[in-house]
This record gives sequence, structure tokens and C-alpha cells, in this order.
Amino acid sequence: MDLSSGFTFICPFKTNSGNKALEHLPFELSSLNAFKPLIITSQSLTGKKAIRTMINAFGDSGMTMGLFDDVTDKSDLSVVDQIKDIYIKGQYDSIISLGGGIVADVAKLANLAVSVKAADARKLSPETPINSHLGPLVVVPTADATGLETSHYASLNRKTFASVWLMPNLVVLDTRLTRACDSKVIAEAGLAALGRTLEASVSAGRNPFMDAYAFAAVCFIRENLVGAVSKCCDKKAALAVANAASMSGCVISNSDQGVLHRLGQIFQNVLHIHPGVIIGMCLKVFLEDCVKKDKNALSLILLPLAGDDKYAATPADKRTEETLKSLRGFFDELYGVLKGKVPRTLSEAGIQQFLMDDLFEVINKEPDGAYLRTLVERVGGSVKS
Amino acid sequence: MILPDYYEFCCRVKLVAGHDALEKIPSLLGEMGAKKPLIVTDKGVVAAGLVDILVKALNGGVDVGGIADNVPPDSDLNVVNQLAARYKENGCDAIIAVGGGSVQDTAKGVNIVVSENATDLMAFSGIGSLTRRLKPLIAVPTTAGTGSEVTQVAVIKNNVQHIKMLFVSYFLLPDVSILDSRMTMTMPPFITAMTGMDALSHAVEGYYCLQKNPISDANSLLAVNMIYKNLTQVTKNPTDKDGRLAMAVAACLAGVSFSNSMVGIVHNIGHATGAVCGVPHGICMAILLPYGLEYNMHKCEESIAGLLLAMAGEEVYLKTPKAERADKVVSLIRKMNDDLHTLTDGRHPRYFSEVKNREGKQAVPREILPEIAKAALMDGASSYNPEDQDYEDNLMVLEAAWEGKPLDRSKIKKG
Repeated sequence: MDLSSGFTFICPFKTNSGNKALEHLPFELSSLNAFKPLIITSQSLTGKKAIRTMINAFGDSGMTMGLFDDVTDKSDLSVVDQIKDIYIKGQYDSIISLGGGIVADVAKLANLAVSVKAADARKLSPETPINSHLGPLVVVPTADATGLETSHYASLNRKTFASVWLMPNLVVLDTRLTRACDSKVIAEAGLAALGRTLEASVSAGRNPFMDAYAFAAVCFIRENLVGAVSKCCDKKAALAVANAASMSGCVISNSDQGVLHRLGQIFQNVLHIHPGVIIGMCLKVFLEDCVKKDKNALSLILLPLAGDDKYAATPADKRTEETLKSLRGFFDELYGVLKGKVPRTLSEAGIQQFLMDDLFEVINKEPDGAYLRTLVERVGGSVKS
Repeated sequence: MILPDYYEFCCRVKLVAGHDALEKIPSLLGEMGAKKPLIVTDKGVVAAGLVDILVKALNGGVDVGGIADNVPPDSDLNVVNQLAARYKENGCDAIIAVGGGSVQDTAKGVNIVVSENATDLMAFSGIGSLTRRLKPLIAVPTTAGTGSEVTQVAVIKNNVQHIKMLFVSYFLLPDVSILDSRMTMTMPPFITAMTGMDALSHAVEGYYCLQKNPISDANSLLAVNMIYKNLTQVTKNPTDKDGRLAMAVAACLAGVSFSNSMVGIVHNIGHATGAVCGVPHGICMAILLPYGLEYNMHKCEESIAGLLLAMAGEEVYLKTPKAERADKVVSLIRKMNDDLHTLTDGRHPRYFSEVKNREGKQAVPREILPEIAKAALMDGASSYNPEDQDYEDNLMVLEAAWEGKPLDRSKIKKG
């Protein structure tokens, strides 16, 4: 890796992962000088059981907490404004985000609103200057994580905010919350994490500290995703996938917005499809394109994708080819276990034509829209404009 | 990749690396709302011209609120209070710490005093006594070894009461660490060698000690790879800019690893040897590292073997049968010490019997080994070592490391 042009890296969140990780929350909050958290979650998306587990984790800590559990998949900045009022009125001093995807988006922007003392949170915009630390934020992702919970992104109403200060101070990955009854949910989270980290790993802006997170994330996905999908009772495999998703948030916050990441966001914003679905579809095609530009582009990612023995036994000039082969094998196994629960092509996804038209309209506005469009078309998207 | 049943990992420091990373300091301070930093350093760093490089790189982008170069080799409470007074008198709003462990510790102490308006630093000692953010602190390490630019710990001596105060808090982590190749370029070969081996000991111990976790593991693997590739190279060719930068980054990766996974017997006995005989820390690490691996081999052979590919590359990995990979890692580290010994004309010692003090006399006489073995029992690093240490084991390791003979592993009491 060429370090001579220099780099910057930051991962401002601490990770607590494993059995009864939630029970450490009162201590962790007090370490952040926080004693009265407001929990932001969703009854409909996250579920009552997870909320109960979270509240029980505070046990006899004596800590008072508030609960806002009305986040929905349609929440917008007016919900953020509502939470801001609750936070101020209740004199809370910190926020806990419990759930995946939009729950964390709402929590991050609520934290922004209360920290910058926004008079009207509905007027927050990606241009709102964020110049310093915000209030303490803890993110507790559930199995339906998108991987962006830990990232410096927050998206609502198709507006994407990006700032290192939006990232949480603490991420808690608790075995009780990272398992899912639906294998689809875990597969989507794993595919999003895999795609985003591999994309960052072949980008020009990679650096060793980012590589460390990416390496661990890809290893975890390779070693655990199929197991977690095929046996929903495998708590440890599901936790490993959740770890990978969390790490991927750090990785993408330290790299340029990649093609796959943006496609994932566009599909989520326009079609409300989990970013992992389109990232999974496009990953191989995207990596093949990388090889066309640089025939050794994928040689290093063979190591986390195939392990020490395979990497060492493969001659340097064959590693890119072997990476693609390993990835194909991995996908065949994964999608085989999924038995159609996650579509492998857009045709399988059965997206209606008018929605594809909406999608292409958004894609065409991207600076590299033409390329994004060809990617989508090559995975079975409509060619109609 | 092993996922422990439970783990914690944290390194919130912003890392800025490059051949011209120092030039970014004014804008980094600006982002934190600071414009008048106090530079905390020591006379050795100033004499090496490193503060001049820093001031030139700042290029008037900030108003330097003073250069305090009186940090002693062991951080001292009086100096901390004196520098805190200077910070306040000069209206400073941030600290830039340029130097090794003592400078970084002193700067952290000063930061506690000025941020908390503390009159008694003792009130903030221990674990978790700090509860809020301190003033902006930028760490500029001048050796590629200690990893103190990413640790949450400070040790400050009270020379009146003869006690060492320990401070542990995430709020002690520097806001930014600058890894700039110019800061290590003037290190002489034997210092380069020992500080590099210190970094290697962090990466390796971080990979087998009890709090290891997936993120510390990944940091360790990258560090081991970069140190193995670059350490002998920069010892041979001190002006190798890219090699210096790679070593600075590798030492930081190793620091990130060990500050989360903790360290074990190598540091435990190394601290004791330093305390009893005054042997520099890096030398203790270089000598003890192969022995620490041998001592723990029966507990974590797989982990140690897992370092081989990162260390020596695919050719050596493929040629080494699986059952011999862990031993190969040990022999490669011994070979590194041999190479560094040659490259430094014998100034980099391989065994304790080779260590000389300033008068050229043996710094670790054989008869003092029992005292070191006893002192090691009081050092906390043993808590994180995979195998339980006791006095006899410590002495056995010390004797082998004194003679330069591989450890007789059959004699280790296996717990």
C-alpha cells in the first residue's frame, strides 16, 4: 500500500459486543457523563421484545430513561422535531438508538437537533454546519441493520447528512438483539457489509487502519454469513455478521462514497429495498469492472475472502481470478441457502417498470449516472429509460 | 477470525499520517476551535531539530503559546503543574505533545489540570475519574514504538511523596495523532531498532493476550506485516522516508492493538527489568519477545502460527509445515534481533548478558535475575498473559533470555 500521499482515519465509536453487552450500558453512559438517556426506537420495526430487553438491561442501575418508540419507515424531520421537544422537556442528556436503518437515522438527526439547539428540526439540512462534538449517542443495532447505523451518514426524506460528528460514541452489539427469525434480514445486512467493505478495499483511498476494519468484516462475513442464514438459531454467527455490519459503517465513513454504496442508498430511498439486495446483485459485476481497469485489483482481497492457505497457495498473478472464483462460490452457497428469499437479479425482484423508471431518473442525476445505469442493467434491470 | 463471547474495543483518536502531516495541524486545531497551542516537549527532541520542523510546518497558521521543553525522562508532577501554569498565563487553548512516552504522559497531566482547573491532580487518578472532555490535545510521536499516541493511560510521578499516579480514561486519548515521517528520520539505528522491536512486541502480544478481539487482531496482523518488511530496512537506511512512515503507521497500529487487547509476560518481565536494572524498555521487549511466545506456546500456538503469513509472506508460509509455523514465528523474531545486532554494530543486544550500561559494564548481572523475577510478580501486565506466571517461571524465562538459549518448554508449569 502506498502511504506516501498521506491519509486520515477516525473511528470515534467504542464497540461492546457479545453476551449481555447491553448490561454494560449504565456504566458506559456514566463514562460519557450521561445519566438520563432517551431511547429512540420503533415498536413496529424493532419490536416490543427488543425494547423490553433494552429496558431490563438497566436493571437496578437507578438510571431514569425516556422512551420514544414511534419511529416508522416513513419518519421524517418532523418526527426529529417531535423528539427534540421531548428531549428538552424531559431534560435528557443522551440518546440511545435501538434498531436498524431509519431508527438510527432519526436518532442521529435528533442528536444533531438537540446538540445544536435547533429551533425547528424540520429545517435541518445537509448544509447545516456541524462543527463540534454532539451529545452522547449510543447505537444499538438489531438484526435488520443496514450497516449505516455506525456510519457518518444519516438519511431522511432522501436527504443525506454526512459528518463525523453524527457517528455514535458507542455501539452495542448484543447477542439477544442481533439474531433474527428471518434469514433474509441477516443475509441483507451481511451482503451490504460485504459489498461496502470490498468496494472500499479496492479503492484508491484505502489506508491500513481502515483495512483492519475491512479485513475483520470480510473474514466474519465469509466465515459466518452462510451459517447465520441457514441456522437462525446460531447466535454467534448472527453476532459476527452484526459485527461486520458495524465495522462496515466505520470503513465507509473513511472512504469516498463508492458506487455500490450509492446504489444501495438510491434503491433504499426510491424503492425502499434494503441496500444489501442491490449491493449483493452488483458486487461481482462491479469487481469485474475493477479488474478491467487493473488486472491485479482484487489480488489482496483474496486473503480475507479465502483465508491464509488459499491466498498463500495462489500465485500472485492468479489471485484476482481466484478472488472472483471464491466470491462466485460464496454467492452460490449463500443464495442456495436463501432459496429465493433474497433476489439475485432485478428480474427476480419483480420490480414494476414505473418504479424502475423512477429509479433511473434518480440514477441519471448522479455524476457517474451512465455507469451506475449499466451496472443496474447488467443485473437484470430494465433497459427502458 | 475469532469472535470472543464478549469484547470491547475503542480507539477514538483521529490519525493523520503522511510525509507532510504536520502541516495539517493548524486546520485540525481550527476544527476543534483552538488557535493557540502550548507545545510540550523535551530537550532531546528540541536538540534533534524536531520542534523546529514542527514550528516551520505550522507556518504561522496558529499562534504558538509557548514551547515547554523541560519534560524530564520520567513525567513529574511538579513539571505538570508548572506547565499548566504556563498554559494559563499564555492564554493557550490546546496542547501539542511532541515526543515519547514521558512527554505524552506529561501533556495528558497538564491537560487534566487546565481542563478541570485542578489543584490536586491526585483527585483525578485511577480508572474513570475523568467525566468530561478535556482541552484539544494533539500527539506527535517522535519514535515509532511506544504507541502512546493512542493510549488512554498516563503515569505521572510525584517525586515528593515517591508515588506513581496512574490515570486511565478515554478522555485522555489525544484528539489527533500525527504520524509524520520527518519526526523519526533522525533516530540513530540502534534506537530505531529497539523502538521498532517495542512496536513488534505490542503487535505480537496484542495478538495472543487475553483481551484480544477481532479488531485488535486485524491491527496486529497489519502491524506485524509492516514492521517485518520495514524495520531492518530503516535501520540500514535511516533516511528511507517511506520506510519511516510505514514504521510510524505500524507502531500506531500496534498501539491500537495492545491498548485494547493488553500485554502479557514480555511487558511484565520487561517492566521489572527496566525498574531493577534501568534497561531501556525497547531493549527488554526485543530480548524477551521470543521467550514470551515460547512461554505461551502451549496455550496459544494457533494464534502465534497465525502471524506467520503476515510476517514472512507466502513463500515461507507454504514451506513451513503447519505444526512448525508457530516455532517459525519465534525463530524469525530471533533472526530479526540477530540482523539488528549486526546492523547496529552490536549495539542492539540479543540477550540480557549482552546489555551494557553507560559505563560499558553489564547492565543485567546474572545474580540480579531473582530480584527481577520477584519484581515482575508485582506488575499488572501478567493479568492478561495466557499462562499464569509465578516466580520460578519468571526466573526460568529470565535465565534463558540472559543466556540467549531457547526456553525449555517442558519445564513450564502449565496452568
